[in-house]
Amino acid sequence: MLTLIMFLPLVGVLLCALLPKRFEGAAKYIALFTTAANASLAAFLVGGFTRGGGMQFETVIDWIPQIGMQYHVGVDGISMPILVLSCVLAFLAVIASWKIDEKPKFYFAMLLLLATGMNGVFTALDFVLFYVFWEIVLVPMYFIINQWGGERRQYAAVKFFLYTFFGSVFMLVGIIALYLQTGTFNMVELANGAAALPAFVPFGFQWWVFAAFLLGFAIKVPMWPFHTWLPDAHVEAPTAASVLLAGIMLKMGTYGLIRIALPILPEAFLWFQPLIAVLAVISIIYGAIVAFAQTDVKKLVAYSSVSHMGFAMLGIAAGTATGINAAMAVNISHGLTTGMLFFLVGMIYERTHTRKIKDLRGVAAQMPIYAGLFVFASFASMGLPMLSGFMGEFLALVAAWQGFAAINMQYLTVFAAIGILLGGAYMLWLLQRVIFGEPSEVVEGQKDLNFREIFVLVPLAVFVVAFGVRWSLLLDYVDPAAKAIARAIGLGA
Amino acid sequence: MSSTMSYYLLLIPLIPTLVFAALLFLPRDLRNRLMYVSPIAMGTSALISIIAGLTEFPGGPYSILRLDYRLATLGEMPLNLTIDVGPLSLIMLVMVTVIGTCVQVYSLSYMKDDERRGWYFTVMSLFTAAMLLLVMSGDLLLIFAMWEIMGLCSYMLIGFWYKEKAPRRASQKAFLVTRAGDGGFFVALAAIYAACGTFNINDILASAPGWAPWVAAVAALGLLWAAMGKSAQLPLSVWLPDAMAGPTPGSALIHAATMVAAGVFMVARMLPLFELTPFVLTITLWIGVATALFGAILACFQNDIKKVLAYSTISQLGVMFVALGVGSALAALFHLYTHAFFKALLFLGAGSIIHATHTQDTRKMGGLAQKMPLTTVCFTIGAFALAGVAPLTGFFSKDEVFAVIKYASNYPALVLACAMGVTTSLYVTKMWLRVFFGKAKTPHVHEGGILELAPLGVLAAATLFGGISTRAFGDYIGDIGVWPSWYMATISTCVTLAGATLGYLAVRGKFDRFKEPLRFVGAIMDNKLYLDAFYDNVIIKPYFIVSDLLWKFDEVVVDGIVNGVVALYRRLTRLTWRFDEVVVDGAVNGTAAAYLEVTEASRIIDESIIDGAVNSSATLSQRFGTLLRKAQTGKLQTYQRLAIGGLVLVLVLVVVLKGM
Repeated sequence: MLTLIMFLPLVGVLLCALLPKRFEGAAKYIALFTTAANASLAAFLVGGFTRGGGMQFETVIDWIPQIGMQYHVGVDGISMPILVLSCVLAFLAVIASWKIDEKPKFYFAMLLLLATGMNGVFTALDFVLFYVFWEIVLVPMYFIINQWGGERRQYAAVKFFLYTFFGSVFMLVGIIALYLQTGTFNMVELANGAAALPAFVPFGFQWWVFAAFLLGFAIKVPMWPFHTWLPDAHVEAPTAASVLLAGIMLKMGTYGLIRIALPILPEAFLWFQPLIAVLAVISIIYGAIVAFAQTDVKKLVAYSSVSHMGFAMLGIAAGTATGINAAMAVNISHGLTTGMLFFLVGMIYERTHTRKIKDLRGVAAQMPIYAGLFVFASFASMGLPMLSGFMGEFLALVAAWQGFAAINMQYLTVFAAIGILLGGAYMLWLLQRVIFGEPSEVVEGQKDLNFREIFVLVPLAVFVVAFGVRWSLLLDYVDPAAKAIARAIGLGA
Repeated sequence: MSSTMSYYLLLIPLIPTLVFAALLFLPRDLRNRLMYVSPIAMGTSALISIIAGLTEFPGGPYSILRLDYRLATLGEMPLNLTIDVGPLSLIMLVMVTVIGTCVQVYSLSYMKDDERRGWYFTVMSLFTAAMLLLVMSGDLLLIFAMWEIMGLCSYMLIGFWYKEKAPRRASQKAFLVTRAGDGGFFVALAAIYAACGTFNINDILASAPGWAPWVAAVAALGLLWAAMGKSAQLPLSVWLPDAMAGPTPGSALIHAATMVAAGVFMVARMLPLFELTPFVLTITLWIGVATALFGAILACFQNDIKKVLAYSTISQLGVMFVALGVGSALAALFHLYTHAFFKALLFLGAGSIIHATHTQDTRKMGGLAQKMPLTTVCFTIGAFALAGVAPLTGFFSKDEVFAVIKYASNYPALVLACAMGVTTSLYVTKMWLRVFFGKAKTPHVHEGGILELAPLGVLAAATLFGGISTRAFGDYIGDIGVWPSWYMATISTCVTLAGATLGYLAVRGKFDRFKEPLRFVGAIMDNKLYLDAFYDNVIIKPYFIVSDLLWKFDEVVVDGIVNGVVALYRRLTRLTWRFDEVVVDGAVNGTAAAYLEVTEASRIIDESIIDGAVNSSATLSQRFGTLLRKAQTGKLQTYQRLAIGGLVLVLVLVVVLKGM
């Protein structure tokens, strides 16, 4: 099942590659059908998933037995929701890319390869496999930014690739070091070992490995001060790539911390806890302040991602089950709301060919449906209760207050709460300038969203509301797994 | 606890919610045509509330409806949203639905020509539904959720005419200022959850005495700060006067039944927590006193009829905070209740007056008493209630607040509260005389239609006769007040009369000669205590600068370091390349060149020396050769020796390779 979800897009890639030049317009249909099939498979996955059942849908095949390398995949409550989100967003990204007519074969093949890579990262339970998928993701994203990006796409693509590659090299060092120490690449075994035995890996060693992992993951999240690749990549990337970048790829960082760094290296985590906490709060406030100054809508949303992911890191820093729940809630909700916002920005850009805030005004009067969805997504992103954004940010604050009591850093919660206010500031200031007012020249005469565009946005909106009014739709899956990890760290609920 | 749950009460918030959900997805034309659904639905809710209020008659603080909705499970603990309807909730339900119905019916007439009237009713429905659920909720998380949704609704209502600049700015300001207050709510909720693992109000209040004092203080201060934002207390009061930019009936709802009432209501529910930390209670008291007094003084300096009412709301909310500060939830809630009716009445009346005169400036109005007698009567009832004239509701509730202050023996606060009373009476009198008496200054003035007058009549009746319920209110929610006190009633009547006299004199221009020497006071008041200027110059403008600077910092420094490292690396690669070309390859080439030199040299040596020697020895070797040829007798032996030598060599190679 998981294998199918992972490699179905790869089949699509091959089909695209085999497509004769004359029919290259058909590539989007291949992409549509593979991602749609994947999304339906994801639905079956949810249906067959046992809440609190640990690792499920596992497949273990020996790959290179001499060094204990396996093809080992499976999902638990942490990875399953992100995997589903990934399948859904990939499907919607294909629909949103329907109008791409420049080298469609290559484009959709890359999009599908990206899907394979992302799905692989969230299912792999063998370190080598994990690393392979982790790196695979970079390649299609590089090409998508490089080929279909904006003016500075060369710079942005290279920067994106090198920066994150730089991070993953450190991760690779960590993986190899762990292997040499313990003799296994099996992530589940390592976590179980660490849970069963305090100092399963000696502390001094843990410290170095954790530092390496943290650097790799912090770049991916991205956490201040390793975030500067993100605004560049987002601004230059085409819409679908921005959506997947913010919606899924950033989550690889937080997922890595939750899946690997916390359970396998718990003692080192406790050492690094204050550092992560402080960096998380800096990310929250810094991202929000810089977002406020932006003149480009897309860049504003990009910096807002830095701020939002700070809340995920804050939850992780708490190290409690509530904190991990919070981080996962932020992951999913940010994927939904920021996905919506990037889609929306792309839709207005297709019409007006500008993303400059000062050129756009009065969209509400001209495109009421668009404006309604934009306001909805904005308030969801601001963390309005009864919409999904609130769940994660609120739980992150609650967890921070609880979790930081031991390290006497509860005051950080107050700063994070200020970050929520600042989040309202940049979003409302954006709405006031772009959505409301008399329509500006470029906005005048534009058509409202068509059916295809509404179809892209509505599923996300439905999830935003559903998770908002019933947190258990998400957290009932996450919580048992979160508790298991929190037990390993030993900080309790 | 009663054994049967009154589930039908859920209909009260559910009906307007459904109206919202239904209207939300309709196209504009259809929504406009269906706007009548909204007031009808609200009226149904009001009917249910009134029936419930009359039949349930609990007479004590117990629940007639408890419902837990599991939001999630964290750790071992369910995280619930709880509905817990007690007598207080019932009273609030009646208040909100009745005022909500009046406002919506009135709006049918007031908004009839607006092209987005359907949307207006959609937002109104959600707004009221949120407030209804808020007063029904039994846990802080649900209160907070509804609190925020009301924030969203007020944002949309204040910014209803979003094409104009003022409403846009005002709506943003309202949301952000109240959101600034909500930061306190967030922190308080985090602290509370860490302390007792639940948001259920009853459980919190039961466990709070066991908390560390600083935790209780953080929680109480956070909640207070949030309430100050929502209920427009100094220094977070700045959003409320600007909120006038929205449609007037919307203001009536915001100022009376919803939004601002939420802050007072929440603190009243959580008052036992505040009482654990007396200094927070003291802060509450003095913030209330300051807000009540300054709100009233500011109202004296306003000429815009809606602004007068806005500052009076701030002032009256301050009065409620004073009551909370001396520990009386009853007095605060009763004043909240009466104020809601007469303030809604005043706003709706003001709306009719503005429609009729096409101005909001009281100086340009006059003589309306003859032209709009019915509106005048209703507005007068509301105005007198605000001033505290017996036997209108405002008199009783204000009296009760005065009584609890005196009961707490806080005489400084009592003196200031009386000063507030004088000032209130002053600005009410001033406004009333200016609007309704004197010469008519605006032509073609006429009454509003029945849809406007009927709600005014209902609210006026409630204000006129509501005073009877003063004792009943306390009995109903199971709280015995210290009222009545004839002594306080006398004082407060004197206060009102004094204020009215001053107001009369002010309108007659008796104080005009003080204007010049006291101009600086006027300047302070005209600038709203410089609070807006303070926020503009100390927070907002610096924030713009800081965010720009930080962006530059991000691009130049943070990203600069990244790019610098890359540049440095490229420099390094170029250096390495050069090193490679010059030194490493140079060494190779050098060696080769040296070798060539050596070979050249050896060639020379070869040619000149060795060749010479060879040539000279050639003759010698020729002789040797002849000698050797003679020694080579048998060919076979020579070959045999060569073969063995070769085998040995191969064997050695095999052994060596195997060993590796």
